[in-house]
Amino acid sequence: MSADPAPSTPVETRLRDLRATTSSVEFVARVVTCERREITRKSDGGRRPLLSGLLSDGTATVRFTWWDPPREGIERGVVLRAVGAEVREFRGRPEVTFTWKTRVAPASPAELPRVDAEEIPFRTVRDLKASDEGFRVEVRVVRIAPKSVTVGEERRVVHEGLVADRTGTIALSAWSDFGLKAGEAVRIAGAYVRSFRGRCSIVLDERSVVVRVEGNDLPDPAELLRSPPRSIAEVEDEGGGEAVAVEGVVVGLLPPSGLVYRCPTCHRSVRSGICRIHGQVEGQADLRARIVLDDGTGAVTVNANRADTERLWGVTLEGAQARLRNQPDPTLLEEELLESLLGRRLRVRGLGTKDEFGVTLTPESIDPVEIDLDAAAEELAARLGDRS
Amino acid sequence: MSLREPAWRITARELESSLEEEKGEGERPATYLLSPFAARMNRVLMAGSLSPAESIGRDESQAFWRARLSDPTGAVAVTAGSFQPRAMAQLRAGSVPRPTVVVGKVHLFRGRDGVGYVSVRAEAVRSVGEADERAALADIVRQTFDRLDLLERVEKDPALSEETIRKEGIPVAWLRAARESRRRYPNVDRVAFRHDLKNAVRRVAGESGPSRATPSVPTSVTVTRAPPPRAPPPAPSAAERTEESLFLDQLDEVAEVSADGYADLKEVFSRVSSHGLVGERAEAILNRLEEEGVIEEPIVGKLRRA
Repeated sequence: MSADPAPSTPVETRLRDLRATTSSVEFVARVVTCERREITRKSDGGRRPLLSGLLSDGTATVRFTWWDPPREGIERGVVLRAVGAEVREFRGRPEVTFTWKTRVAPASPAELPRVDAEEIPFRTVRDLKASDEGFRVEVRVVRIAPKSVTVGEERRVVHEGLVADRTGTIALSAWSDFGLKAGEAVRIAGAYVRSFRGRCSIVLDERSVVVRVEGNDLPDPAELLRSPPRSIAEVEDEGGGEAVAVEGVVVGLLPPSGLVYRCPTCHRSVRSGICRIHGQVEGQADLRARIVLDDGTGAVTVNANRADTERLWGVTLEGAQARLRNQPDPTLLEEELLESLLGRRLRVRGLGTKDEFGVTLTPESIDPVEIDLDAAAEELAARLGDRS
Repeated sequence: MSLREPAWRITARELESSLEEEKGEGERPATYLLSPFAARMNRVLMAGSLSPAESIGRDESQAFWRARLSDPTGAVAVTAGSFQPRAMAQLRAGSVPRPTVVVGKVHLFRGRDGVGYVSVRAEAVRSVGEADERAALADIVRQTFDRLDLLERVEKDPALSEETIRKEGIPVAWLRAARESRRRYPNVDRVAFRHDLKNAVRRVAGESGPSRATPSVPTSVTVTRAPPPRAPPPAPSAAERTEESLFLDQLDEVAEVSADGYADLKEVFSRVSSHGLVGERAEAILNRLEEEGVIEEPIVGKLRRA
């Protein structure tokens, strides 16, 4: 290995320095996640136990696969020393495999490689990409709130929010409570970047280090949430963003819009009384509008929820249902909704995610925009120029 | 990945002046209409006064309707057929001209002699109040100015980089469109076009009605492939009267032998061109005869005596 080993642990490799190689390696790392499975051999139908998950030593996180693992004792948080592990590369990232040749033994957290915070490079939010780790960032907490979630069998609290520096804004999920508060500036080390449905977020766990800083050059959180709208072409270019603001004209609606029915358990829309996950269910009525907003440079889809749809349309869910009883054609309702929205100028703020069809906004706010015609005429007259 | 085509904010005059097409890339390439003023349009958004629609469908099973959208700079045909039932219903809804915002796909029909006719196949038609129509027009004129400004910059600095443009928040697609416009329309008077937007600005200010006072052939655009247009005099001269009668004679002859009683526009153009009446002059005659109510074009590309 080309890496210069740390003085205290001369024979070990840091996970950051792992490269695909035929020679086996030795390292100390903590189990971040693990999952037990059984693989059925094709040849004789025999079953072989397998443990896989993520290992981290503070310098990097790698996937591991452990054939014929011990029956118990390996769980999240355990520190292991592995001697003779194989390293392979999968999709450009190293992975380790523990085979019968590998000796794995419990180790003390003190044996983990010492990582000098000063040697971790600083990154800006704009440069963060999915599955990045081993970086430091200085960010302002724009907002943060605890949320209770179920992970497997376990109830856990995750602190979810938004952080920003001058270059951009990114979501944050902290699996331990760092006491983060909106408005404060922090330096974060030992976090990693995860991507879900095209949306990146910084993930903090118990190994992450959070330090309060002055953050004089970090943006004001209020300003971030008030930033002026940008062109949709720009937003498409950047692939969406956490706090996107755009302004445009409604040029259409995408199905399903109007009165929809949702699964009472998962809130997915129900078709013919069947939920994709929960089968036959009694759908609950809901209103939504999938608005196509266009500013001349590009177009986004704005997924308006019931409250926004009711406000923009001026018809409540109950009102829509009452209409449906008198006029049992749901397409007429959608028509009416479209009629009320088409051509309207809206300013939308929210989370923008991009997929193969373009950018979709999950709005935090949708506001109709009035144009000051006199001011516009004055501004435009100044741009006419003289006929030469 | 195929992103939705943006609706270019466009004035009728710019659309009338657009005669160059370009195929996009990918599996199902879209067609783009290039304007002399840096628009590369597949979809457009326009605002103006929409005339009552007339049916131009061949029969009931193939309903097709056409109306004219006039803004202070010019007018274009807006069509909708049974594949756009919603837009068609909206198009048919009015019996008097009304302020309207239209979103649709541009369509260029080019005759045999190279004369182009642009129309908009409506996707969405929305009757609006006057204030909304003026607000939409303000948007259209502002973006038109933005594109003209960009064209001027490209003229001054041909090496203007995409990076610079992107930093300023200007779509990179606009820069490419500006370069292509300059290449395809090298002799267009863009200063004149900018000035010609004054009626639109007056409309935004509420100082004039929704549509232009006098229809005219765009003066600010020169199509390099055809002879430059002759400025139309206030009253037709004897020579023009002769041209008119030549045009009508040829129209009658074509109509006489056609199966449906209509004279094919391309056929008429090709016949009059063999008598020396070509390009925009022939088109000017056609326009005048239509305006005077002598002939009409109930189906695109089909003429008859009114």
